[in-house]
Amino acid sequence: RGGMALSESVAGATTFERRVLRSAGEHHYLRVRLELPDGGARPNVAQFKQLVVSALRELHGEAGAALPVDVLTYEEKTLSALLRVVSSGLVKLWSALTLLGFYQNRRCAFRVLQTSPFLLALAGNSRELVLD
Amino acid sequence: FTVFTFSVGYSAVALNHVIDFKEKKQEIVKPVSPSELFPSLPIVQGTSKRIKVLTRLTLVISDPSHCNLLRSTSPNIRLYDIIAVFPKTEKLFHIACTTLDVDLVCINVTEKLPFYFRRPPVNMAIDRGIYFELLYTPAIKDSTMRRYTISNAISLMQICKGKNIVISSAAERPLELRGPYDVANLGLLFGLSEGEAKAAVSTNCRATMLHGETRKSACGIVYTVKKPRKAEEEEALPACKKAKTQA
Repeated sequence: RGGMALSESVAGATTFERRVLRSAGEHHYLRVRLELPDGGARPNVAQFKQLVVSALRELHGEAGAALPVDVLTYEEKTLSALLRVVSSGLVKLWSALTLLGFYQNRRCAFRVLQTSPFLLALAGNSRELVLD
Repeated sequence: FTVFTFSVGYSAVALNHVIDFKEKKQEIVKPVSPSELFPSLPIVQGTSKRIKVLTRLTLVISDPSHCNLLRSTSPNIRLYDIIAVFPKTEKLFHIACTTLDVDLVCINVTEKLPFYFRRPPVNMAIDRGIYFELLYTPAIKDSTMRRYTISNAISLMQICKGKNIVISSAAERPLELRGPYDVANLGLLFGLSEGEAKAAVSTNCRATMLHGETRKSACGIVYTVKKPRKAEEEEALPACKKAKTQA
């Protein structure tokens, strides 16, 4: 998956090897929050995963629903979750979450807070920084 | 509503008035000044400036006689920052792209386009600095509209090659708004490249705002011409310098 380039110096005095890795990583991580303004029952983990898969199915069909998506963490109180998806499927997942409008006939919205190919980068969020 | 847009990450919002000419006796009303609606605007996340709230007028035209309104100098039209036009037929689309004095041409996303885009009017619109607008909120509400949105957007992309596109929401509730990066991702779905998709949300919108400002302010151009020098001096100057002084 990563591209590697090998190059040698022209004069032949010293040979060096240069490796270029083009892919950022196998998976992309998304921190999302589901907004359900009406104070109804909150979905649990299984229902949340089913919601994500059904959003993919609605927009991208069966091939989209088959995309390997994992819910790494889920907090029911705040309805926020960490999702992991294969890098090639990031656009599909993100667009499916953006265009989702209803959960069990209740209006809802997905807010994508952070996204990164590295999980560690999701630990800090400069947008939520509160300056005194 | 503005507090919500501020928390989602936008720095400028335009309030839209839609005028549909099919109904009788439509008059262009003065736009509600933003300062009346929001006494104090919240500050954009990350900077110290306040959110800009602009007013915008959308004219739904299905008849060439409706365009006369734009040509007439109705005082109320000049009060709007951005003017958009929603043509319903191919002829009107051609007129809107080539002669009408507007900033945006709305592309219908809620139903199958009754006409196909052709390259000449689209290219002329791009040269004139007019942007094509796509809405994404209908795609959130209904799955049939999703199909129409994507198919109309893709056919537009094939003709205009991704230039001069603005993606906006026609949101009526704060829940129907999506963050700017989400909308840029939708642009990727429509067939734009990554840079074009981001531009569709940021650069092109700002260009539309500036286009509206120039439309409001500029009415004519004054340029000065230097008087030509005497004959022997003209020969002494090299050719390029001559051209500069005569411009």
